Amino acid sequence: MPPVLVELLQFLFSGLASGAIYALVALGFALIYNASHIINFAQGEFVMLGGMVTWVLLSQGIDLPLAILGAVAVTMVAGLALEKLAIERARDANVVTLIIITVGAGIFLRGLTSVTLGKDLHALPAFSGNAPIDIAGATLMPQSLWILGVTAAIVVALHVFFHYTVVGKAILAASHNPLAARLVGINVNVVLLLSFGLSALLGAVAGILIAPITATHFEVGIMLGLKGFAAAILGGLGSGPGAIVGGLLLGVIESLGAGYISSDYKDAIAFVVILGVLFLMPRGLFGKRGTERV
Amino acid sequence: MATIKPSGYSKHRKKQTYTRRLGTRATPMQMLFSERVGGMGALILVIACLPLLLSNNYQYDVAITMGINAIVVVGLNLLVGYAGQVSLGHAGFFALGAYASAILTTRYGLHGALALPAGALGVGVLAYLIARPILRLSGHYLAMATLGVGVIIHIVLDREAWLTGGPDGMYVPTIEVAGVPLYGGAIWYWIVAAVLILTVWLALNLIDSPIGRALRGLHGAEVAAEVAGVDTTHYKVMVFVISAVLASVAGSLSAHFSEFVTPDSASFFHSILFVTMVVFGGMASTFGALIGAALLTLLPQLLADFSGYEQMILGLIMMLVMIVMPRGLLPTLVGLARRRQREARS
Amino acid sequence: MSLLRVEGLGIHFGGVQAIEDLDFTIEAGTIHSIIGPNGAGKTTLFNLITGVYRPSAGTILLDDTPIAGRKPHDLARMGLSRTFQNLRIMMNMSALDNVMVGRHLHLNRNLLACLLRLPPVTRGDRAARKLCTELMDLVGLSAYRDADAGSLPYGALKRLEIARALAAEPRLLLLDEPAAGLNAQETREIDEVIVKVARSGVTVVLVEHDMKLVMGLSDHILVLDHGRTLAEGTPEAVRNNPAVVAAYLGTV
Repeated sequence: MPPVLVELLQFLFSGLASGAIYALVALGFALIYNASHIINFAQGEFVMLGGMVTWVLLSQGIDLPLAILGAVAVTMVAGLALEKLAIERARDANVVTLIIITVGAGIFLRGLTSVTLGKDLHALPAFSGNAPIDIAGATLMPQSLWILGVTAAIVVALHVFFHYTVVGKAILAASHNPLAARLVGINVNVVLLLSFGLSALLGAVAGILIAPITATHFEVGIMLGLKGFAAAILGGLGSGPGAIVGGLLLGVIESLGAGYISSDYKDAIAFVVILGVLFLMPRGLFGKRGTERV
Repeated sequence: MATIKPSGYSKHRKKQTYTRRLGTRATPMQMLFSERVGGMGALILVIACLPLLLSNNYQYDVAITMGINAIVVVGLNLLVGYAGQVSLGHAGFFALGAYASAILTTRYGLHGALALPAGALGVGVLAYLIARPILRLSGHYLAMATLGVGVIIHIVLDREAWLTGGPDGMYVPTIEVAGVPLYGGAIWYWIVAAVLILTVWLALNLIDSPIGRALRGLHGAEVAAEVAGVDTTHYKVMVFVISAVLASVAGSLSAHFSEFVTPDSASFFHSILFVTMVVFGGMASTFGALIGAALLTLLPQLLADFSGYEQMILGLIMMLVMIVMPRGLLPTLVGLARRRQREARS
Repeated sequence: MSLLRVEGLGIHFGGVQAIEDLDFTIEAGTIHSIIGPNGAGKTTLFNLITGVYRPSAGTILLDDTPIAGRKPHDLARMGLSRTFQNLRIMMNMSALDNVMVGRHLHLNRNLLACLLRLPPVTRGDRAARKLCTELMDLVGLSAYRDADAGSLPYGALKRLEIARALAAEPRLLLLDEPAAGLNAQETREIDEVIVKVARSGVTVVLVEHDMKLVMGLSDHILVLDHGRTLAEGTPEAVRNNPAVVAAYLGTV
């Protein structure tokens, strides 16, 4: 293969891997948005918690699979607590107030982590070694395969959950029409709680998957959270497929931009793309369109 | 489609007695309690008396930072509180103002008194150019777009080291006016105070004018405002530019006062901090915005003693205040006072 | 020359044809009612005329000037004003300020003048406040002069919509179900207001289900059904039109 194509393939690999992470974070945003029309700016902190708690459990001599389970559990508890203690009590507040509450929650979680787990950078070991795999001249790290595989598995699981289980259908119903859902006996508060738990799970998994590649740190969630939000918006808020496509697209564009244009501006490229898309499509790629009823 | 009752309907049906005959002038007593006379008077009084309590440079620094933040927040409140348009990127405009002053004075030898308006003009033009496409968006899409603008500005300031000094920031030389260096808290206190008082006065005037009603109207019922002849896009753009320019002016003042700028002044959290100040004090309340700016400038200073725990406590306070008082401090207090008054009367 | 002329007007939402090939004219100085069953397209027609929706086909002429696709605020400048069936009240403002927003186009909106609160602004506002208070009195809202819009009962909000629309001093006023949800007494009052407004020279277009009100007030009635004209003419002619009786009045 000509070197130009190999290079392109290389950029695509790394773009898809980080894109899958963004997709997981974006799915977390979409889940909570659907259940409550809230944007949870603490989503990035779920990602951070996943990585950091896994690291601390590993450092205590616990095996990786158990450490991962523990980290996911801790993060889910944080998500459930956030819903129960804060969001549920402020449901009727306006958009900006809710944004500030979740940002406050993010600051709190970062502060808590820095106090208890320190402010150092930690790398997790890759799940199955660091021997690169050669594909047509481009190298693929085994961890990237883990990221893509786990993300794909989660997407399938979510699809099954939302379309073939009673609880999943109830959540969907509640997101389409909360009032009607309440009338048929769906407890909207429970749905909200579930969606926070599930979002925390997605965030934690994303944080654990990416930690062997980029290392983890108490502030690692800030940018990942914003990128995830950007991916969710890019796809169209509240759309599951939109979040996945938005995430992958963002990852690939970012990787290509960093490779071909400027690596200094890697983080900026995502936001430039978002602005461009929103200017042309004010509701994202897959967002609901329609005329406002007057 | 079901007929939806307007929100707020049926909450308090009781007819309100009115105190002021319309089309007539207010009595002196009513003027004392009005925002423009009573409020401005109180603000000037507080600003005039505050230096009596300030005993060292650090305290002056905090007071001046309060004033600078208040200028941003009064402007941002016009956009977020009155016109109902979210912005999570105004720290970007603040930082652009600061860097415009820093760069124009150090690299191009411009006087600070000219750099400030030059920066404000530049930011105004930039805000005008992006306002139209951005303000077509609403809700979370608008939040995302403004956030994006802020993040992009932050990254550019951080990366273009040849111009901005990069992540380390850059120094700003002391301004001299007629051979006298503008240096130290005592001087800057009065400069910032003057700009703040002017800003508040202009904001109050604007709110209580046809433009102010157009802004509140498009917030309350956009179609109805359009149909009444309000060019809603035009006014959204206008208030976006005004708030950006005020942020830029505050940024310039901050650069000259602290004689140092860093890219972090454009960070997402700085933007969030500004919005939090607006909401803390109370949306659509200029004096609420002032209180929000003062409290949230003071808070981190007070928390500095809790070494390590300050972030946790700040996050906790943000959540608590917003849960307990979702409408913000001043409207909640005013609401309580009114209710007490009404109960006392009946 | 007619004040408003609609030719071949149509709009569809997705696959639903809400208005199809509609023609009618409205003469200046008349009260013109549009009736029809729910879903006939009456409100959609209002949205098309006032620029809230953009038609998929046809032309709308105001004084022989094509206006289809123009923004609502442009049309307001040309003398169009309306109320909303599903109330569009600015709940964040006082009742009076709602009416004052309706006065927008008649006031000094120069940014500098407003920022500095120059005399033209204060003078204009004072005069507007007086006029808007009188309008509130006219529609029977004297009791709510200083009240927050959010504290008004439903019937009062309907009237507030009318006061706000009148504040613009329109030439053509479109009222979308002004009497819906009002009791008999309130309906009578609204009836009087409409007559008063029409007598002052404003052309009124009315969408309304209260047939007594419609028959008593209108110079001309347009009956819509499924987005098309079912019948048109004087109240007398419409009342006796067999198609109308069968499709609409007969079912009441």
